[in-house]
Amino acid sequence: MEPRERYMAVLEGGRPDMLPRMPILMQFAAEHIGSYYGAFASDHRVLVEANLRCAEEFGIDQLSAISDPYRETAGFGAPIEFPRNGVPICLKPPLEEDPDLARLSRPDPLKAPRMRDRVDAVSAYKARAGGRYSIMGWVEGPAAEAADLRGVSNFFVDLLDDPAYASALMARCVDTAIDFARAQVAAGADTVGIGDAVASQVSAKLYESLILPHERRLVAAVHEMRARVRLHICGNIRHLLSGIASLGLDIVDIDHMVSLAEARRVLGPNIVLAGNVDPVACVMRGSPEAIASAVRQCYAEAGEPFMVAAGCEIPASTPPANLAALCRPIVPR
Amino acid sequence: MTTLEQLYQAVIDGKNKDARALAQRALDEGANPGDIVDKALVPAMAAVGERFKSNEIFVPEMLVAARAMKEAMGVLEPRLVAAGITPKYTALIGTVQGDLHDIGKNLVAVMWRGSNFRVIDLGSNVPATKFVSAINEHRPHLVGLSALLTTTMPAMVETVRAIRSAGCPPVKIMVGGAPISQQFADEVGADGFAPDAASAAEKARALVESA
Ligand code: B1M
Repeated sequence: MEPRERYMAVLEGGRPDMLPRMPILMQFAAEHIGSYYGAFASDHRVLVEANLRCAEEFGIDQLSAISDPYRETAGFGAPIEFPRNGVPICLKPPLEEDPDLARLSRPDPLKAPRMRDRVDAVSAYKARAGGRYSIMGWVEGPAAEAADLRGVSNFFVDLLDDPAYASALMARCVDTAIDFARAQVAAGADTVGIGDAVASQVSAKLYESLILPHERRLVAAVHEMRARVRLHICGNIRHLLSGIASLGLDIVDIDHMVSLAEARRVLGPNIVLAGNVDPVACVMRGSPEAIASAVRQCYAEAGEPFMVAAGCEIPASTPPANLAALCRPIVPR
Repeated sequence: MTTLEQLYQAVIDGKNKDARALAQRALDEGANPGDIVDKALVPAMAAVGERFKSNEIFVPEMLVAARAMKEAMGVLEPRLVAAGITPKYTALIGTVQGDLHDIGKNLVAVMWRGSNFRVIDLGSNVPATKFVSAINEHRPHLVGLSALLTTTMPAMVETVRAIRSAGCPPVKIMVGGAPISQQFADEVGADGFAPDAASAAEKARALVESA
């Protein structure tokens, strides 16, 4: 099977020749091809080249457009700095001091340079390898983007002090996420990843009452575009699982502090679980044999449908042999 | 409920306006400002830290509790200063160079303030040289380093080394953050490690009191 066929087989309830391998790569991929993170995040040609070469070399089934949290934030007008070897830095969250939503314009994903660069990455994947690999676009979830615009602590306080404001802000973020997802799907993405990691830091009550409805609207909109949705909330999300179960997702990433067996119990038999090898203790620091056995253990705990991944991003200094061990083919039972 | 009990509860519930009014009422009723801190604010923040540790509350609830404590302190501080009551210990805190994660560091700062330390927060992405010059300037009893990324753990090693070797005044060093462990703290030569903000407050007191 080609990587994309294998991926679709799992999503459609069929039997793949081997489990799809879906590790999240950023800095690792950049450095693996002799480039650096700053270039990977600011120039889609580097991102595309790095991910394609890693996919070929390690046997990865999905090409991803993820790079850093600030594509949309830049579109909303935030100044971003690109350190050579680090993640881009948002120099000033646009609503940090003045929360007035009227100051936010609605960025056009084809005009805002950092958003356009991601759309261009998806187009380049499509042109170079579209039929062969699954292509995943990426958007920030409602809580993540709201936190990027307001500053995380301000946004957390807003959730309690002024839920109506926090909700209106997240609604604006979702409008833009939908525009951005649509542009990426039009360019060739078959899947849209949604990153909403800060949601891991709030109670189940706040998550379900305030954040979940916005995530639900985003998921439904992507489904209307006939694309698949992969949700990524790294960290400990045990307390959020029952809410997440109601989102109608195709794939959910599970980080290493959450039991895959419990995730399966709560999320049900149809959703694809991806994860959850410990990215640092195991993938970066473990031996190839320990990693390969951890993957088999994850599969045993999660049951079908399952895709291979670490709990979160593959750390930059992971030895290549370790990533190869993570991606070692596993024939489904 | 007495006024101090109400103040204690208002801080736990993150009710900042109530906390301010209750601190004022306690003063009006003749309470000693130092007692208000020791009997209401410090225990309230300790309770908040414990609830956070056991996942009963999460980061937003902790932030509003901290804000309520700050409001109450705003009322008490002029009276504390007038009475010559100042925090006995000073602490510096920051997230190490290259690391932008500051929520955990902020919560540790909150808990330190809640246990009556004067805290100077250097922010995130702080170079070792800035820690060193701040230590020379403020002469703290304790300095706290936070790191959330494996890639910034070397910057923590570097910072500890700089603080120990720069001819700095003697200072206790505490390290923490999700990837940090007691073993790592021992290896880098820090004096202490704490896995969460509540434990960081207990550890801080133990470190400065043993100095
Ligand atoms: C002095 O003594 C002490 C004592 C105790 C101390 C202490 C000091 N400091 C902390 N403690 C302890 O007490 C605190 C309270 O109990 C605790 O603090 P913590 O900080 O552990 O806990 C906080 C209360 C809550 N936790 C947090 O605040 C972290 C939450 C998560 C979601 C997270 C967030 C929010 C962010 N992130 Co980032 N982020 C993740 C996190 C994933 C997750 N879901 O957990 C993590 C930490 N991030 C990670 C990564 C990789 C990254 N992040 C990045 C960016 C960001 C945001 C800017 C978007 C945002 C930070 C916003 C901010 N202002 O802080 C990038 C790096 C940016 C940089 N240069 O720093 C980027 C590199 C991602 C990218 N490629 O863009 C991962 C680190 C992996 C690793 N081990 O190296 C990560 C675990 C996600 C993952 N699963 O991979 C204890 O550790």
